[in-house]
Amino acid sequence: MISLKTVSMVPVAKEDSRARAVYDVASGDDEGVGGKLMVTRGTGRRVREALGEVLEGLPGDGVLYVDTRGVELMDYSFADEALGILVSRVAAGEYGDRHVALVEEDRELLENIEASLRQRGLAMIRVDEPGGAPNIVGEVSEHLLETLRAIYEAGAITNADLAERLGINHTACNNRATKLFKLGLIHRRKNTAAPGGRQYSYEGIA
Amino acid sequence: MSTQLELNVRRKGAMRGILTLGSLDPAFAAAEGVEGEMAVLDLRGVEFVEPAGLCGLAALLEFLIPRSRLVGLKFSEHDVAAYLERMDFFRIFGHRVETNVDVAALEERRRGNPGTLQELISFHSEEEIPGIINRISEILTNKGYELSERAAICATLSEICANAVEHGRSPFGAYAAVQAYQHIVSGGRGRGEEVLVAIADGGAGVRETLSRNPEYAEHTASDNDALRHALKMGVSGTGELGRGGGLAVVGQIAARASGSLSLRSGSGRVTFYGDRTNSRNVPTFPGTFVRVSLPRKADELPTASKN
Repeated sequence: MISLKTVSMVPVAKEDSRARAVYDVASGDDEGVGGKLMVTRGTGRRVREALGEVLEGLPGDGVLYVDTRGVELMDYSFADEALGILVSRVAAGEYGDRHVALVEEDRELLENIEASLRQRGLAMIRVDEPGGAPNIVGEVSEHLLETLRAIYEAGAITNADLAERLGINHTACNNRATKLFKLGLIHRRKNTAAPGGRQYSYEGIA
Repeated sequence: MSTQLELNVRRKGAMRGILTLGSLDPAFAAAEGVEGEMAVLDLRGVEFVEPAGLCGLAALLEFLIPRSRLVGLKFSEHDVAAYLERMDFFRIFGHRVETNVDVAALEERRRGNPGTLQELISFHSEEEIPGIINRISEILTNKGYELSERAAICATLSEICANAVEHGRSPFGAYAAVQAYQHIVSGGRGRGEEVLVAIADGGAGVRETLSRNPEYAEHTASDNDALRHALKMGVSGTGELGRGGGLAVVGQIAARASGSLSLRSGSGRVTFYGDRTNSRNVPTFPGTFVRVSLPRKADELPTASKN
């Protein structure tokens, strides 16, 4: 069981009705899943299992914020086991349309998460606080970052509008957004009722 | 009949009297030839023991004790035996060796050791590491270390300890020790402060571990090749994605502190400084040894010695 102090549902000032849960890694729980000093793969595995359990309990398009702000230090092994592997599974679609985002400030601790995600060719949305402006941890090329920012600024946007905003053709835009979707950095929806047939629209996850 | 094991401790210069891992090389070589007889290790030239020497001595004794009917340690400097006692050396080895000092008397006058961040500790599994890190983190907090320094020391220790027990398959597990100095120890005593982290195991060694991964065939021709390769991001025995990042991150931490990361395994010895890597062939070390130097405020202090 995961204790209530570790996981909380947060109201975030967003237009959608998506469920958002925050897992406070530093507060830990009765079984010691979490704490201020996060080291070793064994510890990372237990935290990842706890995070996965919360993620599975969320509605289909829910977002889990992993809040590491109270963690004083972590090592690479922990970062890779807890976050690197979790992010790779989310990106592979193991949790459906549910996503994870990191709540953390820009500090040295991020280096371990960054190193793990880069190693895996993955990335994660980072916010200073739930609902805050999105940043990226990990490996994302400059043009993908530009696309990502445009999507987050718009809130929700169709492929056609995004292509126009970026000044690129629809196919190129679709390809970029598909990459972001496969990295687990955005939501993607198919609008079958759109004029001219099938069209995607995109939305940020955090 | 008994075999005398000599050390290579410098008699003069900046490294005078310091027990380093390198000074144990002749003893490791001689220990290989011990076949049941009594063995005596002569520590009389030693005046100062750094964590590397302490962990190396522990590894040497683990190598030597099963080969010898009785192992003796000879001290002349009383302070060295007292220091070893404060570092828990006799708690681990007191009942396994004979010595010319009265260990019980040392225990009685035992006092705290201001620079000790971690006494000699023996561990066998990853599960023991978080406890070790919690304890050293508390000591560092009490000593007023900043969070970033504390994170650097703890992450270094946890990552290397995890490597030692993961790849080790070592009959004795691994030994670690951490000491803070009010002066620079590495490369001669200079001004500044320095934290030294040392870990030794008696396992398969880096070259054999990396050789399990056929992709690394061209990087495992020699122990030094294997050590240099192990420092790279993402290089691990299993080759699994995400693995093999720990040592690379520790190298970055040490480089950022203007320190160094040294590895010894088999006949290889590689030291990584961030902007350069030195390698040389050395006498065989039966296992893997890691030493990390984390200087403090070194760049704020003049490096030139006034004498």
